[in-house]
Amino acid sequence: MDKKTTLTQQMAVAQEPEKAIVERKTGALSWVAQNGIFIFLAVLILVASFAVNGFASLENLTSILNRAAPIGIVAVGMTYVVISGNYLDLSVVAQVATAGVIFLAVGNEYGLFVAALAAFAASLVYGIVNGVAVGYFKANAVIVTLATTYIGLGLLRFFSGGSIFFGNPDGPMEQFGQAKLGPIPASTFVLLAITIVLSILLTRTNFGFLVKSFGVNEKATRLAGVNTDRVIVGAFLVTAFAATLAGFVFAAYSNTAVSTMSQGFDFRALAAIIIGGTSVFGGRGSVLRTLLGVMFVSVLNNILVLVGISFGYQQLALGIIILLAVTLDVLSRKLGEK
Amino acid sequence: MTETIQLGGAKETGFFPRLRTIIGRRTEGRGVILLLVILAVLAFTQPLVFTALPVTIGRIALIGIVALGLTAVILMGELDLSVASTLAASGVVVAIIPDLRIAIPAALLMGIVVGIINAFFIAIVGIASFIASLGMLFALSGLAFVLSNEVPVSIANQDAGLAFGQPLFGPVTPRILLFFLVFIAIQLFVTKVKAGREFFAVGGNRQAAYDSGIPVKRRIFTGFIISGFVSALAGVIYTLELTVATPTAGSTVLLASFAAAIIGGNYLKGGRGSIIGTLIGASSLGVLQVALFLSGVQVPVQNTLIGAILLIAVITDPSSLRAISARVRATLPDRTKVEAQ
Repeated sequence: MDKKTTLTQQMAVAQEPEKAIVERKTGALSWVAQNGIFIFLAVLILVASFAVNGFASLENLTSILNRAAPIGIVAVGMTYVVISGNYLDLSVVAQVATAGVIFLAVGNEYGLFVAALAAFAASLVYGIVNGVAVGYFKANAVIVTLATTYIGLGLLRFFSGGSIFFGNPDGPMEQFGQAKLGPIPASTFVLLAITIVLSILLTRTNFGFLVKSFGVNEKATRLAGVNTDRVIVGAFLVTAFAATLAGFVFAAYSNTAVSTMSQGFDFRALAAIIIGGTSVFGGRGSVLRTLLGVMFVSVLNNILVLVGISFGYQQLALGIIILLAVTLDVLSRKLGEK
Repeated sequence: MTETIQLGGAKETGFFPRLRTIIGRRTEGRGVILLLVILAVLAFTQPLVFTALPVTIGRIALIGIVALGLTAVILMGELDLSVASTLAASGVVVAIIPDLRIAIPAALLMGIVVGIINAFFIAIVGIASFIASLGMLFALSGLAFVLSNEVPVSIANQDAGLAFGQPLFGPVTPRILLFFLVFIAIQLFVTKVKAGREFFAVGGNRQAAYDSGIPVKRRIFTGFIISGFVSALAGVIYTLELTVATPTAGSTVLLASFAAAIIGGNYLKGGRGSIIGTLIGASSLGVLQVALFLSGVQVPVQNTLIGAILLIAVITDPSSLRAISARVRATLPDRTKVEAQ
């Protein structure tokens, strides 16, 4: 076809031999780092369904799905930023809250369509500001998104007055939040749909390929003639759109929204991504694995709640799990280099 | 190879060329500009700030003390996100141990241990510093909640806490005194002590530093221990002054301390920067915050402003400006070619 396809093919060919060598040498540790999530998740669910009282009930599983959906949507979107080697997007906290408040505050007044337009306009701003600062200005993603988090949350709190917004009873938000197919809430289907879309975008399109190759080798990608800055903006835009969708789902679930509603989303989403086996060094990972990571984090959280372990221990556990998962990733890489 | 290599600009003689060289080498430019702009605007709009000097200095100390420790780490091109919850956790430690003579050393020791754990994951295991310290941020904030049972804890010895908030002499409270001691200690360490000067080498070019025999891993340990210790000290100060420790303390410290360090011209990839720059950055933020408080601006709006300043500071970094100007230059010839056709 055009120049881009040949470029893509050439780069794919160039990566092939390297991949083979790495795969041969890393062995078990690398396998665990990349695929361990399947086993961890299975073991966790098995143990929980036998040992934890009330885990295997239908209501509990539905509640796990309900809670997993917003975090999951954020996480699959943020996977793009992580794969592109830009660490993470802390500002998803602000993005989810902004979207949630807009969907309820604007939606109550002017209807859902206008609210959706406004929310996606806001996410466009977030994505472009983050992406331009990180891509074009080559600024550190952690610091940039830390700054935009506070800018966004501050503006949101200023304009919303810090108040809680309730959706109209029996409004479209409420109806969506309560909609179910059997025991499975509608939000789960949104999560699955966005996962499939983003997975196809990552594995089957030029854009997805460029995001990955940027994560593998930033310089080589640029020297190959790719407009890498634009790729970064794209990755942040994907994250921002996903976060907006998450804000919608989250606000619909409880039919309320407040500027503090999404506290901790950034870290929990990152934990899910890392546990899913996406490398924080960029270049390696998949959206589908992130979905498994999300399930792991949600199930673990649910178990800790059911067993009656306090919030503090949950955070402690999540922090330690992040460190362990990254350690595993690093060690497998080190062995691969030898 | 007996020939010595002359570094750029060193040949310049005469007062003004030399002055230009000295200024050119400094990194604090943006911090100074911001401070001057803020002071100039305030002189007209909110002159009250200049009379409320003790409050202003206290605020600067509050922002600055964590930023000072952070600067030691940033000079090596690393990030320490765990400072915020180190502060919270050490604050809780001070409150739950009744005897302050044991509590304060225990809290400070905890800061050192946090630094060692951070550095272990970064230097020995090889995890990128932001992610290792992010894990610690999470784990430690969990620990703060666990230790405090998720509620604010009052310190047992209220009198000691109240006394701690009182000025020692003039406007100088223990907080301000400690801040200046930390400032002087770290400033001397990174400019006069060999180990501290090696921070710049580690940040500038790690491979070169390693090749020239600098114990890079040990320096990373030193840096993170400094940062952990200083943020634990900040936690002790917080708790003693408020006489109560909250597990959520320091949630905005992360923003303010990073902003202070980056506004002060510390290059995030390491190797360039100064402790004085951080002081200037913290001063401008402190003055700004006090002015905003006096004008009755809400905290969220203050955070928005500081966030915006941080964003501007991080994208006006010299290397960022180079990157963007290279891009702009790269697109310009294209346009002229199109016009010519």
